[in-house]
Amino acid sequence: MVDEKELRDVVKKTISRDDVKYVVGYEKGTYGFQATPCFAYKPEDAEKFIFSPLCVHNLTVFPMLEEKPPLRKGEEPDTRKIGVVVKGCDSRAIVQILQEKGLERDKVVIIGIPCSGVIDPKKIEAKFPGHIKKVEVNDEDDKFAVTVDGKTQKIPKDELMPEKCKTCEYPNPVLYDILIGKEIKSKKKEDYKKVNAFEKKSMKEKWDYWEKQFEKCIRCYACRNACPLCYCKECMVDQLNPQWVRRSVNLSENTAWNLLRAFHLAGRCIGCEQCERACPMGIPLMKLNKKIEKEIKEMFEYEAGISAEEKPLLAMFKPDDPEEFIL
Amino acid sequence: MKIGVYICQCGINIAQTVDVEKVAEYAKTLPSVEVARFYKYMCSDPGQELIKKDIKEMKLDRVVVASCSPRMHEPTFRAVLEDMGMNPYYFEMVNLREHCSWVHEDKDRATAKAMNLISGAVARATFLEPLEKKEVSVIPKAMVVGGGIAGIQAALEIAEKGFKVYLVERNPSIGGHMAQLDKTFPTMDCSACILTPKMVDVARHPNIELFTYSEVQEVEGYIGNFKVKIKKKPRYVDTEKCVGCGACAEACRLHNRIDNEFDMNMGKRSAIYVPFPQAVPLKYTIDPQNCITLKTGKCGDHALCVEACDDRNAIDFDQKEEIVEVEVGTIVVATGYELFDPAKKAEYGYGQSDNVITGLEFERLVSASGPTEGHIEINGKEPKNVVFVQCVGSRDKETNEYCSRVCCMYTAKQAHMVKDKLPDAKLVVYYTDVRAFGKGFEEFYNRVEGEGIIYRRRELDDPIKVNKKGDRVVVKAKGHPDIDADLVVLATGIIPKKDSKEFSRILNINQSADGFFLEAHPKLRPLDTFTDGIFLAGCCQSPKDIPDAVAQASGAAVRAAEPLAAGMVEIEAISAIIDEDLCSGCRMCEDLCAYSALEFDEKDKIMRVNDVLCKGCGSCASACPTGCISMKHFDMKQLLAQIGGLVQ
Repeated sequence: MVDEKELRDVVKKTISRDDVKYVVGYEKGTYGFQATPCFAYKPEDAEKFIFSPLCVHNLTVFPMLEEKPPLRKGEEPDTRKIGVVVKGCDSRAIVQILQEKGLERDKVVIIGIPCSGVIDPKKIEAKFPGHIKKVEVNDEDDKFAVTVDGKTQKIPKDELMPEKCKTCEYPNPVLYDILIGKEIKSKKKEDYKKVNAFEKKSMKEKWDYWEKQFEKCIRCYACRNACPLCYCKECMVDQLNPQWVRRSVNLSENTAWNLLRAFHLAGRCIGCEQCERACPMGIPLMKLNKKIEKEIKEMFEYEAGISAEEKPLLAMFKPDDPEEFIL
Repeated sequence: MKIGVYICQCGINIAQTVDVEKVAEYAKTLPSVEVARFYKYMCSDPGQELIKKDIKEMKLDRVVVASCSPRMHEPTFRAVLEDMGMNPYYFEMVNLREHCSWVHEDKDRATAKAMNLISGAVARATFLEPLEKKEVSVIPKAMVVGGGIAGIQAALEIAEKGFKVYLVERNPSIGGHMAQLDKTFPTMDCSACILTPKMVDVARHPNIELFTYSEVQEVEGYIGNFKVKIKKKPRYVDTEKCVGCGACAEACRLHNRIDNEFDMNMGKRSAIYVPFPQAVPLKYTIDPQNCITLKTGKCGDHALCVEACDDRNAIDFDQKEEIVEVEVGTIVVATGYELFDPAKKAEYGYGQSDNVITGLEFERLVSASGPTEGHIEINGKEPKNVVFVQCVGSRDKETNEYCSRVCCMYTAKQAHMVKDKLPDAKLVVYYTDVRAFGKGFEEFYNRVEGEGIIYRRRELDDPIKVNKKGDRVVVKAKGHPDIDADLVVLATGIIPKKDSKEFSRILNINQSADGFFLEAHPKLRPLDTFTDGIFLAGCCQSPKDIPDAVAQASGAAVRAAEPLAAGMVEIEAISAIIDEDLCSGCRMCEDLCAYSALEFDEKDKIMRVNDVLCKGCGSCASACPTGCISMKHFDMKQLLAQIGGLVQ
């Protein structure tokens, strides 16, 4: 369990620095099982910061989402840092962005929180349907203590955790400036059980499955917006000349979008599952991401977002790279 | 816009599977096409005239020729446009031969494909943009890497043409494998006698600067302007002071106690040595792996070599590795070969018994300057039964599929030499096919066979087994009686140098599937590599005998001297361009560039292209996350138009 007081103190101290613009963290949501991102611009804003298993968002999207309008004449660019509260998985996104030189290391203050697993909002909402009052959720070793209407239930973590937490190899932030609490140990291992099982299906079965999934897509691009690594200035779906993907919502264009999205994250996806969480249509996007992640791990022994000094996978070339996939 | 489309029949090469008349009719219907014609040989003078006439009369803006591979005739047709005052990059070529007629049988479908290809090309041609070729000046110097016979020949020829040459050799002496050979087939010339004068010429030539015991560490730049870093390994002997008297080697505590690599480890040398008496330069070298002083810091109470050298004071244990930077216009690669290690094929018994030796070991054994002074003896005895086995590590799918080209003849030569020295010996040669293809080879083979040497055919699939039996070996071959042999000589094949891969990366040249360096075209550009300004000579390109290596070296020397003489080279206009507004400075492209053509601008935090270095390969453009890199002549508009045309 994270000491929220320590977190607030750290945030207060960070935002009090002259070279920090704001800190982004979590606060209690307005209803139900929500926790929402919140921003501290002043020291007193830190009071609303929380950390609970409901804090599922990957906040590293925020430094990347920030708009940089053209400067007025004589105006100096704001070079202040941004503070970000990160869990283990979120920190990997920052590392990956640093690797790609999307951010500079001295432009972020990373406040790391060791995390033993969060709650999948879809799962808990299915368990307590229709709840709009505020609830309390606490982390108790292998169980989540969920307090609804004054009654506390203890639910095994596996029932509520998203897939990524069940096989999380990085519960501690891989990169941080300040760590809240102590590092925790984890023996979990990513074994790609689901990918392996899916690979065994026939081509037709796989295609039928994905056709059904992609048919659902409404092309809201929530997956893109939630993804900390989808930060291109101009996304390829928005390009008109050439127009890679047409705007019409139909199976063919949806397939193109979903596959292109997955491939543009090849060697970059750090598995934070934000795309799948954000998807209003329940498309299992992580299945695509994980498949690519597995292939890359096997072929190039590379894992995204582990070391900021390493080069991005697609910027590396070794003469002995496997080439079996080249026809 | 007016486009002219010209379809070549290529004799019947294209016409027999593609209905060119129909294709021409179809091409006329394509947008902007003013004229579409077919002709027997578009590349011929009348064919070219046809295009020129149309350009003049119809005022064509773009020309599309559908014929063979652009690697054959693109320059021809570009020149046609240039002659007519058009920009040569307004030309687009369709490969109807290699990509269509030669690979298909069904005439209707091949014709349909030809139409699609032309439709794509016409669509692309609309978007072609004029490009300017650039010229760069050439540093009038060359570098030759490798001091074997090919390297020596190339260096001498370039130097003779009046240009400065740096000859870099890894070993303490030039000479290469040829220096190790006793005689050369089929003329039976003494190998050293014909080689050493050339080595001396190299040493004496005012235009040649010799870097022995040195290695090329880094090559940067492009044709005309290569910057090369040469690593000079420490000899621990001052070459200015050493006169090659050999007193040090005589005095060395390890005198005659270290295996001499030059003698295939059969002879002995000291820790301070020259590989062979005719070495060029005749300067001694201390072997740091064995020298007691270098290993332990102390050699008895004092180093005997230093004492022997006396007041010449040539020995310097403090010598350090040195990096020399040179600038050259062109490079000839003549790094040579290695021999297949027969221990990899255990059935031949190599390494298990002293009676089994390789062809090169035999050369040292039979050489008058070798460890036995030319007496053929194994364990002190003259062999009575000698067996030669050919195709060891060649023509063998398990090891190397190719033929090493020299083994048939060197085996015949060696058999002849055994017969010459030991007339009573019984000789058997196991051959697969005798490939006696060169000048005087068949005659030589017939002569050797007539000397009473038994040639027995073996099937490659049936392994020959050599097993130890007392102080002799038994050679078992399927379909032939077993032989108790005193000496078995394995004709080991030629393989690429172990570090070819690393070296190919240093030079940015390619390797073919067998590991030898790849020529730009197997028939028409056998001396060039895909990197302009780098040429190949000798066995680093493929196995070859001495005359072939020398001929190739002379050719490569001419190729390498051309730009030096011209003083200027034209650089391909196709290169990458960066949209500076879009570039985010992620530097993803930087390491992917095989030609080091991209540089990061620290001030503006964006990448910049050096378009002289850029070859227009496009790896940067495909990797650029923001899509700010585009390729001249292959930009997105052109390619998408082509795809659009293809799938119409």
